Amino acid sequence: MAEKTKEQIKIGGIDETKYSMDTHLIYGKSVSDKWDYSHHVTAPISSSTTFRLDSVERGAQGFMQFANTEEFGDKAPIFIYDRLGEPNKDMLEENLAYVEKGEMAVSFASGMGAIAAVLGILTKPGDEIISHNTLYGCTLSLLSNWYPRYNIKWSPFDLTDPANIYNFVTPNTKVIYFESPANPNLEIIDIEVVSKIVKELNKDRSEADKIYVVIDNTFSTPFCQRPIEHGADFVVHSLTKGIGGFGTDMGGAVIGRKKFQDVLHLYRKDFGAVLNPKSAWSILTYGLPSLALRQRHQIKTAVRVAEFLNSHPKIEFVNYPGLPNRKGYETAKKQMIDFNGNFAPGSMIYFVLKGATPAESKEYGIKFMDYVANRAYTMTLAVSLGHTRTLIEHPASMTHSVVPPEKLAERGLDAGGIRLAIGLENPDDILLDLDESLKVI
Amino acid sequence: MGFQTDAIHAGQNPDPVTGAVSTPIYMTSTYAQDELGVHKGYEYGRTHNLTRQSLEKNIATLEKGKYGIAFSSGLSAENAVLGLVKAGDHLIVSNNVYGGTYRLFELIMKDYGLDFSWIDTSNPKNVENAIKENTKIVYIETPTNPMLNLTDIRAISKICKDNNLICVVDNTFMTPYFQNPLVAGADVVIHSTTKYLNGHCDVVGGMLITNDDKLHERFRYLQNAVGAIPSPFDCWLTLRATKTLAVRMKQHQENAMKIAEYLQTQSYAKKVIYPGLPSHPQYELAKKQMSGFGGMISVDFGEFETAKKIMNNIKVFTLAESLGGVESLVCHPASMTHASVPKEEREKLGLTESLVRFSVGIEDVEDLIADIEQAVKKL
Ligand SMILES: Cc1ncc(COP(=O)(O)O)c(C=O)c1O
Ligand SMILES: Cc1ncc(COP(=O)(O)O)c(C=O)c1O
Repeated sequence: MAEKTKEQIKIGGIDETKYSMDTHLIYGKSVSDKWDYSHHVTAPISSSTTFRLDSVERGAQGFMQFANTEEFGDKAPIFIYDRLGEPNKDMLEENLAYVEKGEMAVSFASGMGAIAAVLGILTKPGDEIISHNTLYGCTLSLLSNWYPRYNIKWSPFDLTDPANIYNFVTPNTKVIYFESPANPNLEIIDIEVVSKIVKELNKDRSEADKIYVVIDNTFSTPFCQRPIEHGADFVVHSLTKGIGGFGTDMGGAVIGRKKFQDVLHLYRKDFGAVLNPKSAWSILTYGLPSLALRQRHQIKTAVRVAEFLNSHPKIEFVNYPGLPNRKGYETAKKQMIDFNGNFAPGSMIYFVLKGATPAESKEYGIKFMDYVANRAYTMTLAVSLGHTRTLIEHPASMTHSVVPPEKLAERGLDAGGIRLAIGLENPDDILLDLDESLKVI
Repeated sequence: MGFQTDAIHAGQNPDPVTGAVSTPIYMTSTYAQDELGVHKGYEYGRTHNLTRQSLEKNIATLEKGKYGIAFSSGLSAENAVLGLVKAGDHLIVSNNVYGGTYRLFELIMKDYGLDFSWIDTSNPKNVENAIKENTKIVYIETPTNPMLNLTDIRAISKICKDNNLICVVDNTFMTPYFQNPLVAGADVVIHSTTKYLNGHCDVVGGMLITNDDKLHERFRYLQNAVGAIPSPFDCWLTLRATKTLAVRMKQHQENAMKIAEYLQTQSYAKKVIYPGLPSHPQYELAKKQMSGFGGMISVDFGEFETAKKIMNNIKVFTLAESLGGVESLVCHPASMTHASVPKEEREKLGLTESLVRFSVGIEDVEDLIADIEQAVKKL
């Protein structure tokens, strides 16, 4: 009998379930039989737009196999052209699906590319999307500026009370969409309750009319929360943020059930928002393996910063999922759980400065942020989050500038709201800068 | 295969694992071994890297050589050549080489017991006369930087063969597109790939090429043991660049020829040195040993003040060290590239304070000439 090589043993013989997710972040789903890069301890950066096909027959086979797992299963792919698939993206996708507890992941050029793709495959003219009131600005823009052109209706409402679903769902509803914690005000939505209600509603619906629960898990990262475990159908990510982790590369991903993988691949092929392989490689090589380390540090810092701000006399209120005095705390405690079962309230903080009127608190907020922009060493005035550096921004005039001033309240935004995305600095230094900067008002 | 075909294909078979037509950037520092002593021929990133191997094979093929050995700079490649000799050995070197070569040999390695004779190799007789019992290597640069003096590679290689010496040629200025020293009998070719081979001023690198199994073995050993290796990403960028080497070199030379001819008619240019001008003292040798004349021109403007004004007023040309990029550069060898050569030595070579070196890029040549004209108007 031929001796099994070490790799064969590895593919077949390792019981992956006995290892922790921290370790899986580094190794992914053990060794893949889709490519033999296992002896390169770090995968090569794929940098070819096109791939040699040995014969027309093999070429034809490749096109036939593409996005056709129903017929061909998960056979080793025949690579054809970068936009259809190449090794770096495929490796990243396997690992992303694994950490998010999904059956598959498909990557996209950006978070918005991923969001547009999942909504694109789930809806058609005449359908409706219902969502929480507060969402990332460009997602709001996609739903309110573009989808009406395709006759896809959007109805936002307060999903912090999931019972409201009954008031907004219609026979045409296909998607219920939200973020938890929401960008930027960090409102918490109970994923399990939402999913349960949708499951009930779906009982009376045909396969074609089912409602899907889609959640943007960018703010939490899979380290803090795995929504599929709580019943969500799809998770979307801006990989640009906490998963990428270093602020060097854009990226997005949709994670969900296997049966949607092919249609997502077809969508990506025809709409073209493909992730650059070099970015996929960075996220695969630096982002995911360091996710747990970074998140642990950032959460620890965020808890201290939130407590500091919470007791600061110049601050009206702080929203951070780890503060017991805030609405949604119990839900957060239930669903924001790290790989080892600890409460993991994330690295994002939202707060508003005191002022006699909203206009005054905005004025103070801007003064404070301008001071930070010029004088703070550990905080950078910039959009984005999940970075090595702590970033601070003013949603009403930046990430959510799509919302007109008179609509801010409707979208759950405060005129003077400040969003803080904790980085990897020494927490003492961040507190020092915050303390000093708050003195200017 | 023709040069252009080799430039695009040599060393770059589609990736065996995926069929990828462009070579992947193999970013790994180490390789998993199947079991003790059993591996796929790759052990550690300093020793083996697939992207680097592709580049080595590619440039070796272009130089009509069997082996390429890549380094992190031209100077680290030169340093590896010195790894062929030991204290007490003697080397004969062209008296006008790149200033950094002079620095490495005379100001550093001499202290380790190596003996260098700096001679005018443009006359092969001088080389014969300089040979001593302990001579091991003859090291030439042709055309030289920046005086553009030529040395007859065939003649020097013959002398080396007859005397059992290793003939090393720095071919940075001509590139394999215009000159193949190995074909002319040299044992080792050196490149600063930083220059024309990479050609876009974004990578520093070096390469040795040889046909000799023993030399290759030693260079390979030194590459690993000394460790001055290029990164996989740099190798990948350079591989991208060699694909257009032929088209770039044609354009460099066409532009340089026009500029040299133009400058020759201008009274402020006291001396125009370009191997493609019949006025070059070794024009006949240039035509014989090179298939083109390259993109480097040196001009003596007679007075430092004139040279300085031209360098300060010129706009499309950038005042900078280095050469061989798609963008045109000017430099002042006496204070920049060759500052480490003592003043007396420089003056002996004609490397005066008023000498300016032009690395002619591949811009529209009319713009380059107009740029020189506007700089001169301000004199
Ligand atoms: C919660 C959330 N979702 C999606 C996005 C969009 O991601 P990207 O910028 O990668 O398109 C962002 C980016 O700011 C975000 O904060
Ligand atoms: C002819 C020649 N050889 C060698 C070198 C040294 O190469 P590097 O700068 O890549 O070390 C140079 C660089 O200027 C050069 O011009």
